[in-house]
Amino acid sequence: MPSISHLIEEFIRTFPFFLKPLLLTFELTFASVVVGTVIGLFVALLKISNFPLGPMIANVYITVIRGTPLIVQIFVLYFGFYKVVDLGQFWSAALALAVHSGAYIAEIFRGAIQSIDKGQMEAGLSLGMSPAQTMRRIILPQALKRSIPPLGNQFILSLKESSLAAFIAMDELFSMARRLSAETFDEMTFFLIVAVYYLVIVMLFTYLVNKMEKRLAKGDS
Amino acid sequence: MKKTINGISVMLLTMTLLIAGCGQSPAPAGGDGGQAPAAAAGGSSMTKEAGVFTYAASGEYQPFSYFKDGQLTGFDIEIGEEIAKRLGLEPKAVTSPFSGIIAGVKEGRYDAAIASHAITDERKQQVDFADPYYLSGGQLFTRPDSDVSTLEALKGKEVAVALGTTHEKMAREYTDNIKTYDSDVTAMRALEQGKHDVVITDSVVGEIAIQQGLKIKKSGAALTEVQHGIAVRKGNEELLNKINEALKQMHEDGTYLKLSEKYFQRDISKKD
Repeated sequence: MPSISHLIEEFIRTFPFFLKPLLLTFELTFASVVVGTVIGLFVALLKISNFPLGPMIANVYITVIRGTPLIVQIFVLYFGFYKVVDLGQFWSAALALAVHSGAYIAEIFRGAIQSIDKGQMEAGLSLGMSPAQTMRRIILPQALKRSIPPLGNQFILSLKESSLAAFIAMDELFSMARRLSAETFDEMTFFLIVAVYYLVIVMLFTYLVNKMEKRLAKGDS
Repeated sequence: MKKTINGISVMLLTMTLLIAGCGQSPAPAGGDGGQAPAAAAGGSSMTKEAGVFTYAASGEYQPFSYFKDGQLTGFDIEIGEEIAKRLGLEPKAVTSPFSGIIAGVKEGRYDAAIASHAITDERKQQVDFADPYYLSGGQLFTRPDSDVSTLEALKGKEVAVALGTTHEKMAREYTDNIKTYDSDVTAMRALEQGKHDVVITDSVVGEIAIQQGLKIKKSGAALTEVQHGIAVRKGNEELLNKINEALKQMHEDGTYLKLSEKYFQRDISKKD
Protein backbone atom coordinates (compact mmCIF):
# COMPACT_ATOMS: atom_id res chain seq x y z
CA MET A 1 0.00 0.00 0.00
CA PRO A 2 1.31 3.44 -0.93
CA SER A 3 2.22 5.91 1.77
CA ILE A 4 0.78 9.42 1.85
CA SER A 5 4.05 11.03 0.85
CA HIS A 6 4.41 8.63 -2.07
CA LEU A 7 0.87 9.42 -3.19
CA ILE A 8 1.49 13.15 -3.05
CA GLU A 9 4.82 12.84 -4.85
CA GLU A 10 3.29 10.76 -7.62
CA PHE A 11 0.29 13.08 -7.81
CA ILE A 12 2.57 16.04 -8.45
CA ARG A 13 4.88 14.14 -10.82
CA THR A 14 2.06 12.85 -12.99
CA PHE A 15 -0.12 15.96 -12.89
CA PRO A 16 0.97 17.13 -16.37
CA PHE A 17 0.10 13.72 -17.82
CA PHE A 18 -3.45 14.03 -16.54
CA LEU A 19 -4.24 17.37 -18.16
CA LYS A 20 -5.12 16.12 -21.63
CA PRO A 21 -7.10 13.13 -20.32
CA LEU A 22 -8.92 15.48 -17.96
CA LEU A 23 -9.96 17.64 -20.89
CA LEU A 24 -11.13 14.59 -22.81
CA THR A 25 -13.19 13.41 -19.84
CA PHE A 26 -14.86 16.82 -19.75
CA GLU A 27 -15.47 16.81 -23.48
CA LEU A 28 -17.00 13.34 -23.31
CA THR A 29 -19.19 14.27 -20.38
CA PHE A 30 -20.43 17.55 -21.86
CA ALA A 31 -21.07 16.06 -25.27
CA SER A 32 -22.97 13.18 -23.76
CA VAL A 33 -25.00 15.33 -21.35
CA VAL A 34 -25.95 17.86 -24.02
CA VAL A 35 -26.99 15.20 -26.53
CA GLY A 36 -28.55 13.16 -23.73
CA THR A 37 -30.66 16.14 -22.64
CA VAL A 38 -31.96 16.65 -26.15
CA ILE A 39 -32.79 12.94 -26.43
CA GLY A 40 -34.30 12.97 -22.96
CA LEU A 41 -36.56 15.94 -23.59
CA PHE A 42 -37.73 14.50 -26.89
CA VAL A 43 -38.44 11.08 -25.38
CA ALA A 44 -40.20 12.56 -22.36
CA LEU A 45 -42.54 14.58 -24.59
CA LEU A 46 -43.07 11.53 -26.76
CA LYS A 47 -43.96 9.48 -23.72
CA ILE A 48 -46.65 11.88 -22.48
CA SER A 49 -47.86 12.72 -25.97
CA ASN A 50 -50.91 11.16 -27.60
CA PHE A 51 -49.20 10.48 -30.92
CA PRO A 52 -50.08 6.99 -32.09
CA LEU A 53 -47.24 4.70 -30.93
CA GLY A 54 -45.44 7.68 -29.35
CA PRO A 55 -45.61 6.50 -25.73
CA MET A 56 -44.83 2.94 -26.79
CA ILE A 57 -41.67 3.91 -28.69
CA ALA A 58 -40.52 5.99 -25.74
CA ASN A 59 -41.17 3.11 -23.36
CA VAL A 60 -39.28 0.62 -25.51
CA TYR A 61 -36.29 2.95 -25.69
CA ILE A 62 -36.28 3.56 -21.95
CA THR A 63 -36.73 -0.13 -21.15
CA VAL A 64 -33.96 -1.35 -23.46
CA ILE A 65 -31.44 1.31 -22.48
CA ARG A 66 -32.09 1.15 -18.77
CA GLY A 67 -32.11 -2.62 -18.94
CA THR A 68 -28.67 -3.12 -20.50
CA PRO A 69 -25.26 -2.22 -19.11
CA LEU A 70 -23.50 0.86 -20.43
CA ILE A 71 -20.32 -1.06 -21.20
CA VAL A 72 -22.33 -3.34 -23.50
CA GLN A 73 -23.86 -0.33 -25.23
CA ILE A 74 -20.42 1.21 -25.70
CA PHE A 75 -19.04 -1.99 -27.26
CA VAL A 76 -22.07 -2.40 -29.50
CA LEU A 77 -21.71 1.14 -30.82
CA TYR A 78 -17.93 0.91 -31.16
CA PHE A 79 -17.44 -2.58 -32.58
CA GLY A 80 -20.90 -3.59 -33.71
CA PHE A 81 -22.31 -0.58 -35.48
CA TYR A 82 -19.24 0.49 -37.41
CA LYS A 83 -20.53 -1.06 -40.63
CA VAL A 84 -23.78 0.88 -40.38
CA VAL A 85 -22.18 4.15 -39.38
CA ASP A 86 -18.56 4.55 -38.42
CA LEU A 87 -18.84 7.03 -35.61
CA GLY A 88 -15.19 7.12 -34.69
CA GLN A 89 -13.88 6.69 -31.22
CA PHE A 90 -15.04 9.87 -29.58
CA TRP A 91 -18.60 9.78 -30.83
CA SER A 92 -18.99 6.07 -30.23
CA ALA A 93 -18.24 6.70 -26.59
CA ALA A 94 -20.04 10.02 -26.36
CA LEU A 95 -23.13 8.74 -28.13
CA ALA A 96 -23.31 5.59 -26.05
CA LEU A 97 -23.11 7.74 -22.94
CA ALA A 98 -25.69 10.14 -24.38
CA VAL A 99 -28.14 7.43 -25.38
CA HIS A 100 -27.67 5.89 -21.96
CA SER A 101 -28.18 9.03 -19.92
CA GLY A 102 -30.96 10.08 -22.33
CA ALA A 103 -33.17 7.30 -20.98
CA TYR A 104 -32.69 8.52 -17.42
CA ILE A 105 -33.03 12.16 -18.38
CA ALA A 106 -36.32 11.34 -20.15
CA GLU A 107 -37.68 10.03 -16.88
CA ILE A 108 -36.41 13.11 -15.06
CA PHE A 109 -38.25 15.39 -17.51
CA ARG A 110 -41.39 13.29 -17.50
CA GLY A 111 -41.51 13.38 -13.73
CA ALA A 112 -40.91 17.12 -13.68
CA ILE A 113 -43.55 17.82 -16.33
CA GLN A 114 -46.13 15.69 -14.58
CA SER A 115 -45.34 17.34 -11.26
CA ILE A 116 -46.60 20.68 -12.57
CA ASP A 117 -50.12 21.23 -11.35
CA LYS A 118 -52.86 20.30 -13.85
CA GLY A 119 -54.41 23.71 -13.30
CA GLN A 120 -51.54 25.30 -15.19
CA MET A 121 -52.42 23.46 -18.38
CA GLU A 122 -56.09 24.22 -17.87
CA ALA A 123 -55.33 27.89 -17.29
CA GLY A 124 -53.26 28.06 -20.44
CA LEU A 125 -55.96 26.41 -22.49
CA SER A 126 -58.64 28.67 -21.09
CA LEU A 127 -56.54 31.68 -22.15
CA GLY A 128 -56.78 30.40 -25.70
CA MET A 129 -53.32 28.87 -26.04
CA SER A 130 -52.98 25.55 -27.82
CA PRO A 131 -51.76 22.55 -25.79
CA ALA A 132 -48.36 22.80 -27.52
CA GLN A 133 -48.13 26.50 -26.74
CA THR A 134 -49.07 25.93 -23.11
CA MET A 135 -46.49 23.19 -22.87
CA ARG A 136 -43.76 25.39 -24.33
CA ARG A 137 -44.61 28.66 -22.57
CA ILE A 138 -46.04 27.58 -19.24
CA ILE A 139 -45.29 24.00 -18.33
CA LEU A 140 -41.77 23.41 -19.69
CA PRO A 141 -40.11 26.47 -18.11
CA GLN A 142 -41.39 25.40 -14.70
CA ALA A 143 -40.59 21.74 -15.30
CA LEU A 144 -37.05 22.48 -16.48
CA LYS A 145 -36.41 24.38 -13.29
CA ARG A 146 -37.54 21.40 -11.25
CA SER A 147 -35.31 19.15 -13.36
CA ILE A 148 -32.11 20.93 -12.51
CA PRO A 149 -31.19 19.09 -9.31
CA PRO A 150 -31.74 15.61 -10.81
CA LEU A 151 -29.99 16.74 -14.00
CA GLY A 152 -26.99 17.77 -11.96
CA ASN A 153 -27.06 14.34 -10.46
CA GLN A 154 -27.19 12.80 -13.92
CA PHE A 155 -24.21 14.91 -15.00
CA ILE A 156 -22.22 13.49 -12.11
CA LEU A 157 -23.20 9.96 -13.11
CA SER A 158 -22.22 10.62 -16.73
CA LEU A 159 -18.89 12.03 -15.66
CA LYS A 160 -18.09 8.90 -13.71
CA GLU A 161 -19.49 6.60 -16.37
CA SER A 162 -17.26 8.20 -19.00
CA SER A 163 -14.44 6.20 -17.40
CA LEU A 164 -15.80 3.15 -19.24
CA ALA A 165 -14.54 4.73 -22.47
CA ALA A 166 -11.10 3.60 -21.35
CA PHE A 167 -12.07 0.17 -22.64
CA ILE A 168 -12.46 1.38 -26.20
CA ALA A 169 -9.02 2.97 -26.10
CA MET A 170 -10.08 6.52 -25.24
CA ASP A 171 -7.30 8.34 -23.44
CA GLU A 172 -9.45 9.80 -20.70
CA LEU A 173 -8.72 10.02 -16.96
CA PHE A 174 -9.16 6.39 -16.00
CA SER A 175 -7.24 5.26 -19.04
CA MET A 176 -4.28 7.40 -18.00
CA ALA A 177 -4.42 5.95 -14.50
CA ARG A 178 -4.33 2.47 -15.97
CA ARG A 179 -1.45 3.38 -18.22
CA LEU A 180 0.59 4.79 -15.35
CA SER A 181 -0.25 1.72 -13.24
CA ALA A 182 0.97 -0.54 -16.01
CA GLU A 183 4.12 1.50 -16.48
CA THR A 184 5.07 1.58 -12.82
CA PHE A 185 3.51 -1.70 -11.62
CA ASP A 186 2.13 0.48 -8.84
CA GLU A 187 -1.62 0.03 -9.26
CA MET A 188 -3.01 1.32 -5.98
CA THR A 189 -1.25 4.66 -6.21
CA PHE A 190 -2.73 5.65 -9.54
CA PHE A 191 -6.18 4.28 -8.91
CA LEU A 192 -6.28 6.38 -5.73
CA ILE A 193 -4.93 9.41 -7.54
CA VAL A 194 -7.52 9.15 -10.28
CA ALA A 195 -10.21 8.71 -7.63
CA VAL A 196 -9.14 12.05 -6.19
CA TYR A 197 -9.48 13.69 -9.62
CA TYR A 198 -13.03 12.43 -10.02
CA LEU A 199 -13.91 13.28 -6.45
CA VAL A 200 -12.69 16.87 -6.73
CA ILE A 201 -14.53 17.44 -10.01
CA VAL A 202 -17.75 15.99 -8.62
CA MET A 203 -17.52 18.09 -5.47
CA LEU A 204 -16.86 21.27 -7.41
CA PHE A 205 -19.76 20.50 -9.68
CA THR A 206 -22.09 19.68 -6.79
CA TYR A 207 -21.21 23.04 -5.29
CA LEU A 208 -22.04 24.81 -8.56
CA VAL A 209 -25.36 23.00 -8.92
CA ASN A 210 -26.34 23.89 -5.36
CA LYS A 211 -25.52 27.51 -6.03
CA MET A 212 -27.55 27.54 -9.22
CA GLU A 213 -30.48 25.89 -7.48
CA LYS A 214 -30.48 28.61 -4.84
CA ARG A 215 -30.41 31.35 -7.42
CA LEU A 216 -33.32 29.81 -9.28
CA ALA A 217 -35.23 29.36 -6.01
CA LYS A 218 -35.07 33.10 -5.41
CA GLY A 219 -37.42 33.68 -8.32
CA ASP A 220 -40.02 31.47 -6.68
CA SER A 221 -40.82 33.62 -3.68
CA MET B 1 -20.38 31.86 2.07
CA LYS B 2 -20.89 29.55 5.01
CA LYS B 3 -21.97 26.85 2.58
CA THR B 4 -18.75 27.34 0.61
CA ILE B 5 -16.61 26.86 3.66
CA ASN B 6 -18.62 23.82 4.65
CA GLY B 7 -18.24 22.38 1.19
CA ILE B 8 -14.51 22.86 1.16
CA SER B 9 -14.00 21.41 4.60
CA VAL B 10 -16.08 18.35 3.74
CA MET B 11 -13.98 17.90 0.63
CA LEU B 12 -10.70 18.19 2.50
CA LEU B 13 -11.89 15.87 5.24
CA THR B 14 -12.96 13.24 2.75
CA MET B 15 -9.68 13.39 0.90
CA THR B 16 -7.69 13.18 4.11
CA LEU B 17 -9.68 10.17 5.23
CA LEU B 18 -9.29 8.50 1.88
CA ILE B 19 -5.58 9.00 1.75
CA ALA B 20 -4.91 8.41 5.43
CA GLY B 21 -6.88 5.19 5.32
CA CYS B 22 -4.59 3.90 2.63
CA GLY B 23 -1.40 5.24 4.12
CA GLN B 24 -1.81 3.48 7.40
CA SER B 25 -2.06 -0.04 6.18
CA PRO B 26 1.66 -0.70 5.55
CA ALA B 27 2.37 -0.63 9.28
CA PRO B 28 0.83 -3.99 10.23
CA ALA B 29 2.06 -5.58 6.99
CA GLY B 30 5.61 -4.95 8.12
CA GLY B 31 7.70 -3.22 5.48
CA ASP B 32 8.22 -4.13 1.88
CA GLY B 33 8.68 -7.85 2.34
CA GLY B 34 5.33 -8.58 3.91
CA GLN B 35 2.99 -7.97 1.03
CA ALA B 36 1.68 -11.50 0.87
CA PRO B 37 0.40 -12.31 4.30
CA ALA B 38 -1.18 -15.58 3.20
CA ALA B 39 2.10 -16.93 1.89
CA ALA B 40 3.85 -16.12 5.14
CA ALA B 41 1.12 -17.52 7.34
CA GLY B 42 0.97 -20.91 5.65
CA GLY B 43 4.18 -22.14 7.24
CA SER B 44 6.36 -23.74 4.59
CA SER B 45 3.71 -23.36 1.91
CA MET B 46 5.17 -21.57 -1.07
CA THR B 47 1.78 -20.83 -2.58
CA LYS B 48 -0.84 -18.48 -1.24
CA GLU B 49 -3.34 -21.28 -0.83
CA ALA B 50 -1.94 -24.58 0.45
CA GLY B 51 -2.06 -27.30 -2.19
CA VAL B 52 -3.11 -24.95 -4.97
CA PHE B 53 -0.99 -23.31 -7.64
CA THR B 54 -2.71 -20.06 -8.60
CA TYR B 55 -1.42 -18.52 -11.82
CA ALA B 56 -2.65 -15.64 -13.90
CA ALA B 57 -2.98 -15.02 -17.61
CA SER B 58 -4.97 -12.48 -19.57
CA GLY B 59 -7.31 -14.96 -21.22
CA GLU B 60 -7.32 -12.61 -24.22
CA TYR B 61 -4.15 -13.72 -25.95
CA GLN B 62 -4.95 -16.53 -28.30
CA PRO B 63 -3.28 -19.03 -28.63
CA PHE B 64 -1.43 -18.52 -25.35
CA SER B 65 -4.45 -17.97 -23.17
CA TYR B 66 -8.01 -17.78 -24.41
CA PHE B 67 -11.48 -19.13 -23.88
CA LYS B 68 -12.74 -22.01 -25.94
CA ASP B 69 -16.35 -22.99 -25.35
CA GLY B 70 -16.21 -20.99 -22.16
CA GLN B 71 -13.19 -22.91 -20.92
CA LEU B 72 -9.87 -21.15 -20.30
CA THR B 73 -7.16 -22.83 -22.33
CA GLY B 74 -4.05 -22.15 -24.39
CA PHE B 75 -0.32 -22.75 -24.34
CA ASP B 76 0.31 -20.71 -21.17
CA ILE B 77 -2.59 -22.32 -19.38
CA GLU B 78 -1.48 -25.85 -20.24
CA ILE B 79 2.12 -25.07 -19.25
CA GLY B 80 0.70 -24.01 -15.89
CA GLU B 81 -1.26 -27.23 -15.55
CA GLU B 82 1.85 -29.29 -16.28
CA ILE B 83 3.89 -27.32 -13.76
CA ALA B 84 1.23 -27.72 -11.09
CA LYS B 85 1.16 -31.46 -11.74
CA ARG B 86 4.91 -31.69 -11.23
CA LEU B 87 4.68 -29.60 -8.07
CA GLY B 88 2.00 -31.88 -6.67
CA LEU B 89 -0.43 -28.97 -6.57
CA GLU B 90 -3.85 -28.36 -7.96
CA PRO B 91 -3.73 -25.90 -10.88
CA LYS B 92 -5.92 -22.83 -10.66
CA ALA B 93 -5.70 -20.52 -13.65
CA VAL B 94 -7.22 -17.08 -13.19
CA THR B 95 -7.57 -14.23 -15.65
CA SER B 96 -6.80 -10.56 -15.18
CA PRO B 97 -6.23 -7.69 -17.62
CA PHE B 98 -2.63 -8.12 -18.76
CA SER B 99 -1.50 -4.74 -17.46
CA GLY B 100 -2.31 -5.69 -13.87
CA ILE B 101 -0.78 -9.15 -13.74
CA ILE B 102 2.75 -8.22 -12.60
CA ALA B 103 1.32 -6.02 -9.86
CA GLY B 104 -0.90 -8.93 -8.83
CA VAL B 105 2.09 -11.25 -8.54
CA LYS B 106 3.97 -8.61 -6.60
CA GLU B 107 1.14 -8.25 -4.14
CA GLY B 108 0.66 -11.99 -3.76
CA ARG B 109 -2.71 -12.22 -5.46
CA TYR B 110 -1.29 -14.92 -7.74
CA ASP B 111 1.55 -17.34 -7.09
CA ALA B 112 2.82 -16.89 -10.60
CA ALA B 113 2.15 -15.19 -13.91
CA ILE B 114 2.19 -17.55 -16.87
CA ALA B 115 1.06 -14.87 -19.22
CA SER B 116 3.66 -14.57 -21.97
CA HIS B 117 5.63 -11.84 -20.26
CA ALA B 118 8.72 -10.83 -22.19
CA ILE B 119 11.58 -10.81 -19.73
CA THR B 120 12.70 -7.20 -19.34
CA ASP B 121 14.94 -5.44 -16.83
CA GLU B 122 12.05 -3.24 -15.83
CA ARG B 123 9.87 -6.21 -14.94
CA LYS B 124 12.80 -7.95 -13.23
CA GLN B 125 12.87 -5.14 -10.71
CA GLN B 126 9.32 -6.05 -9.71
CA VAL B 127 9.25 -9.84 -9.88
CA ASP B 128 11.57 -12.80 -10.38
CA PHE B 129 11.48 -14.68 -13.65
CA ALA B 130 11.91 -18.41 -14.07
CA ASP B 131 14.02 -19.70 -16.94
CA PRO B 132 12.62 -18.61 -20.34
CA TYR B 133 9.88 -20.84 -21.65
CA TYR B 134 9.59 -19.58 -25.17
CA LEU B 135 11.09 -17.26 -27.74
CA SER B 136 9.02 -14.88 -29.81
CA GLY B 137 8.71 -11.23 -30.64
CA GLY B 138 6.91 -8.16 -31.85
CA GLN B 139 5.61 -7.66 -35.34
CA LEU B 140 3.80 -4.90 -37.20
CA PHE B 141 0.32 -5.69 -38.48
CA THR B 142 -1.65 -3.47 -40.84
CA ARG B 143 -4.66 -3.61 -43.10
CA PRO B 144 -3.89 -5.27 -46.44
CA ASP B 145 -3.72 -1.98 -48.35
CA SER B 146 -1.23 -0.30 -46.03
CA ASP B 147 2.43 0.31 -46.86
CA VAL B 148 3.72 0.80 -43.31
CA SER B 149 6.38 -1.83 -42.75
CA THR B 150 9.00 -0.32 -40.43
CA LEU B 151 8.96 1.30 -37.00
CA GLU B 152 10.27 4.53 -38.53
CA ALA B 153 7.15 4.73 -40.70
CA LEU B 154 4.97 4.89 -37.60
CA LYS B 155 5.37 8.67 -37.37
CA GLY B 156 1.99 10.28 -37.90
CA LYS B 157 0.21 6.93 -37.77
CA GLU B 158 -2.14 5.73 -35.08
CA VAL B 159 -0.89 2.60 -33.37
CA ALA B 160 -3.08 0.29 -31.31
CA VAL B 161 -1.48 -1.97 -28.72
CA ALA B 162 -2.39 -3.93 -25.61
CA LEU B 163 -1.82 -1.98 -22.42
CA GLY B 164 1.31 -2.75 -20.43
CA THR B 165 3.00 -4.86 -23.10
CA THR B 166 6.53 -4.52 -24.41
CA HIS B 167 4.90 -3.75 -27.76
CA GLU B 168 3.31 -0.66 -26.21
CA LYS B 169 6.68 0.42 -24.88
CA MET B 170 8.30 -0.01 -28.25
CA ALA B 171 5.55 1.89 -30.03
CA ARG B 172 5.89 4.82 -27.65
CA GLU B 173 9.51 5.27 -28.77
CA TYR B 174 8.32 6.06 -32.28
CA THR B 175 5.01 7.87 -31.96
CA ASP B 176 2.75 9.61 -29.46
CA ASN B 177 -0.44 8.58 -31.16
CA ILE B 178 -1.12 5.34 -29.34
CA LYS B 179 -4.40 3.72 -28.41
CA THR B 180 -4.44 1.02 -25.79
CA TYR B 181 -6.79 -1.91 -25.37
CA ASP B 182 -6.80 -4.65 -22.78
CA SER B 183 -6.33 -7.30 -25.40
CA ASP B 184 -4.09 -7.63 -28.45
CA VAL B 185 -6.91 -9.41 -30.22
CA THR B 186 -9.30 -6.49 -29.62
CA ALA B 187 -6.65 -4.11 -30.95
CA MET B 188 -6.37 -6.18 -34.14
CA ARG B 189 -10.13 -6.26 -34.57
CA ALA B 190 -10.23 -2.46 -34.24
CA LEU B 191 -7.42 -2.27 -36.80
CA GLU B 192 -9.38 -4.42 -39.23
CA GLN B 193 -12.36 -2.10 -38.83
CA GLY B 194 -10.21 0.84 -39.86
CA LYS B 195 -10.09 2.49 -36.45
CA HIS B 196 -6.27 2.59 -36.32
CA ASP B 197 -3.36 2.28 -38.76
CA VAL B 198 -1.05 -0.25 -37.17
CA VAL B 199 -1.03 -2.87 -34.44
CA ILE B 200 2.13 -4.14 -32.82
CA THR B 201 1.73 -7.52 -31.20
CA ASP B 202 3.43 -10.86 -30.96
CA SER B 203 3.93 -12.37 -34.41
CA VAL B 204 2.38 -15.70 -33.42
CA VAL B 205 -0.70 -14.05 -31.91
CA GLY B 206 -1.20 -11.99 -35.05
CA GLU B 207 -0.73 -14.97 -37.34
CA ILE B 208 -3.36 -16.98 -35.50
CA ALA B 209 -5.80 -14.09 -35.74
CA ILE B 210 -5.20 -13.90 -39.51
CA GLN B 211 -5.73 -17.66 -39.82
CA GLN B 212 -9.05 -17.17 -38.11
CA GLY B 213 -10.17 -14.75 -40.75
CA LEU B 214 -9.13 -11.30 -39.55
CA LYS B 215 -8.46 -9.21 -42.63
CA ILE B 216 -5.08 -7.77 -41.71
CA LYS B 217 -1.53 -8.60 -42.78
CA LYS B 218 1.89 -9.09 -41.30
CA SER B 219 3.94 -6.09 -42.30
CA GLY B 220 7.72 -5.96 -42.57
CA ALA B 221 10.24 -8.10 -40.73
CA ALA B 222 10.08 -9.34 -37.15
CA LEU B 223 10.87 -6.43 -34.82
CA THR B 224 12.32 -8.36 -31.93
CA GLU B 225 13.06 -11.84 -30.74
CA VAL B 226 12.77 -12.00 -26.98
CA GLN B 227 12.63 -14.58 -24.24
CA HIS B 228 9.38 -14.99 -22.36
CA GLY B 229 9.24 -16.10 -18.77
CA ILE B 230 7.04 -17.13 -15.88
CA ALA B 231 7.03 -14.53 -13.10
CA VAL B 232 6.85 -15.18 -9.37
CA ARG B 233 6.93 -12.87 -6.37
CA LYS B 234 10.39 -11.61 -5.51
CA GLY B 235 12.04 -13.77 -2.88
CA ASN B 236 9.88 -16.85 -3.42
CA GLU B 237 12.98 -18.92 -4.24
CA GLU B 238 11.34 -22.21 -3.43
CA LEU B 239 8.59 -21.79 -5.99
CA LEU B 240 10.99 -20.34 -8.54
CA ASN B 241 13.34 -23.31 -8.27
CA LYS B 242 10.52 -25.79 -8.47
CA ILE B 243 9.10 -24.13 -11.57
CA ASN B 244 12.53 -24.25 -13.19
CA GLU B 245 12.85 -27.91 -12.29
CA ALA B 246 9.41 -28.64 -13.71
CA LEU B 247 10.21 -26.79 -16.93
CA LYS B 248 13.43 -28.79 -17.27
CA GLN B 249 11.56 -32.02 -16.76
CA MET B 250 8.98 -31.03 -19.33
CA HIS B 251 11.72 -30.42 -21.88
CA GLU B 252 13.37 -33.74 -21.07
CA ASP B 253 10.29 -35.93 -21.16
CA GLY B 254 8.89 -34.36 -24.32
CA THR B 255 5.86 -32.74 -22.71
CA TYR B 256 7.01 -29.29 -23.71
CA LEU B 257 7.56 -30.26 -27.33
CA LYS B 258 4.17 -31.91 -27.47
CA LEU B 259 2.45 -28.77 -26.17
CA SER B 260 4.46 -26.51 -28.42
CA GLU B 261 3.64 -28.57 -31.49
CA LYS B 262 -0.01 -28.73 -30.52
CA TYR B 263 -0.31 -24.96 -30.64
CA PHE B 264 2.43 -23.84 -33.03
CA GLN B 265 3.42 -26.91 -35.06
CA ARG B 266 7.03 -26.31 -33.98
CA ASP B 267 9.28 -25.93 -30.94
CA ILE B 268 8.91 -22.31 -29.85
CA SER B 269 11.72 -22.53 -27.32
CA LYS B 270 14.06 -22.36 -30.32
CA LYS B 271 14.50 -19.82 -33.10
CA ASP B 272 12.05 -20.23 -35.94
